[in-house]
Amino acid sequence: MGMDRWFLLAATLLAAVGAMFGMISVHKGHRSRLTVFWMVAAFTCQLGFLSVRGQMRAACPLVGIGEILAFLAWSLTLFYLLVGPAYRISLLGVFTAPVVVVFQVFALVPGKLAENPQRVIGGNPWHETHSAMSVLAYGALALAAVAGVMFLVLDRQLKEHHLKSGLFRNLPPVRELLISLERLLWLGGVLLTIGIIAGFLMPRTTGANGHLIAAVAVWVSYVFLIGLKTVRGLTGRRLSLSAVALFILSLVVFAFV
Amino acid sequence: MELLCLGLNHRTAPVEVRERFAVVTPKLGEAAHELVALAEASEGVVISTCNRTEFYLAAENAQAAFGLIETRLAEKIHVDSSVSAHFYRMEKAEAARHLCRVVSGLDSMMLGETEIFGQVKQAYGAALDAGATGVVLNKLFQRAFGVGKKVRTETSIQEGSTSVGNVAVDLAEKIFGHLKNSEVMILGAGEMSRITAQSLVSRGARSIFVANRSFDRAQELATEMGGSAVRFDDWQRVLERVDVVISSTGAPHAIVHREEVEKVRRARKYRPLFFIDIAVPRDIDPAVGEIEEVYLYDIDTLEQLAEEARTRRLLQIQECERIIDHELAKLKLPGT
Repeated sequence: MGMDRWFLLAATLLAAVGAMFGMISVHKGHRSRLTVFWMVAAFTCQLGFLSVRGQMRAACPLVGIGEILAFLAWSLTLFYLLVGPAYRISLLGVFTAPVVVVFQVFALVPGKLAENPQRVIGGNPWHETHSAMSVLAYGALALAAVAGVMFLVLDRQLKEHHLKSGLFRNLPPVRELLISLERLLWLGGVLLTIGIIAGFLMPRTTGANGHLIAAVAVWVSYVFLIGLKTVRGLTGRRLSLSAVALFILSLVVFAFV
Repeated sequence: MELLCLGLNHRTAPVEVRERFAVVTPKLGEAAHELVALAEASEGVVISTCNRTEFYLAAENAQAAFGLIETRLAEKIHVDSSVSAHFYRMEKAEAARHLCRVVSGLDSMMLGETEIFGQVKQAYGAALDAGATGVVLNKLFQRAFGVGKKVRTETSIQEGSTSVGNVAVDLAEKIFGHLKNSEVMILGAGEMSRITAQSLVSRGARSIFVANRSFDRAQELATEMGGSAVRFDDWQRVLERVDVVISSTGAPHAIVHREEVEKVRRARKYRPLFFIDIAVPRDIDPAVGEIEEVYLYDIDTLEQLAEEARTRRLLQIQECERIIDHELAKLKLPGT
């Protein structure tokens, strides 16, 4: 097994340990203060993976589903580390870590990561910008979906007056979750816009048109959601459900297109 | 040198007795100094809160010191000797244990309250600054603070709110976070509304609107709370902007219906709205709680949550006592 896979495996194990300890703490009714450190360690290993893989490719490692998922997991971790501790959104790490683990486990499935990745020859800067910005955008949008799930859990507990669990005590307030969700949608939306523009500027084969059309459809959906929230307003539940559904839908779309 | 404690609290003395012995915070250091002189002791600390006044002393002879303080205090504040029936007297290890219980909130009127910790710390700090403490009391108080912290971190004695008002405020914070950006409307100027609204204001709520059938009463309460009075017929207009509604009118039927809240949802951009219904009969139609962004809590739910917290705290007492005994057994405190 190559060094790149070792890095990715280590990142997966560290995120899994962070998720596990986080869940145990929450179950006991305590706030998990160590999750952020496990996630920092996982992030370092993700950087190691991307660095080794980038050298092999001599380009941004975004060729094939394995690399895209690993890059997406890195992007999700990056945004969690930028947003979670800074805005003191407790439990964001506990909810993010399992998603990171799932993405990376899929990336580690044999056959998803090329054994001997070929060097990218004649790479185009617009193409790299499109790939990198799009995957970064999905990191932000994935975190928005995570915040959405947290809101849905808290909303249900508040509505049904189930207020005794450790999870309830440690979840951040409704308003803070909704503000973070909206900011992450904006951030993801801006990054996705840059990715889409770069997509139109890059040289394309006929086969890539389907991918670009799917990307534009996803972009339009997110822009519609953000516009609706900003102009008309949306209940927290609908905003959260939309953020989760759109993210899952876009992953499914890109898995097939 | 022997450690002793003489005190009275909400269980042993009515307020008219407690207030005679109360010492204002700026005078705690001076009082500690006087106490040492009165009891002919070598060290002294005076703790005074709304529910208790306690004198901690280190003296050569505890029994003699008790007699001296009680006689001289009665003379000093002009009360007859019958007042001594309200005092409790503790010596050595029992006094140390009592201080640990006080600091941990186990002896408080509201079990597990945290304010007492700061009040005892302030009293000790004043005595220390006044030079009224020495080896015995310095060690005792520092250990008691350590034990108090351990009790609070290792048990859930302070978790959950034990009053309806505090439960409502905690829920408001769970929904809105810091309340500094939250606006509150009170429907009906009753006492419960006033208390709950005051709790919200004390935690930073930005503005208060009071709507009441009697506009004069609304103005009166609004002035008291630093808010604005609203004509009762205008409450729907105000609903567009507020985050929390506390309702406690004497109406015999519901006054807030689903349709009225539905009408303002668009103008509110579907922001979360928290209804606290503390009226009996209820002021808010339960169907209002079915609206997606509305969180509705009535008096029974709030009271049930407060009761659950009180029960949880009561169940923690044994564990707290065990920690106190265990910690005190480890220490060899002078004077005990």
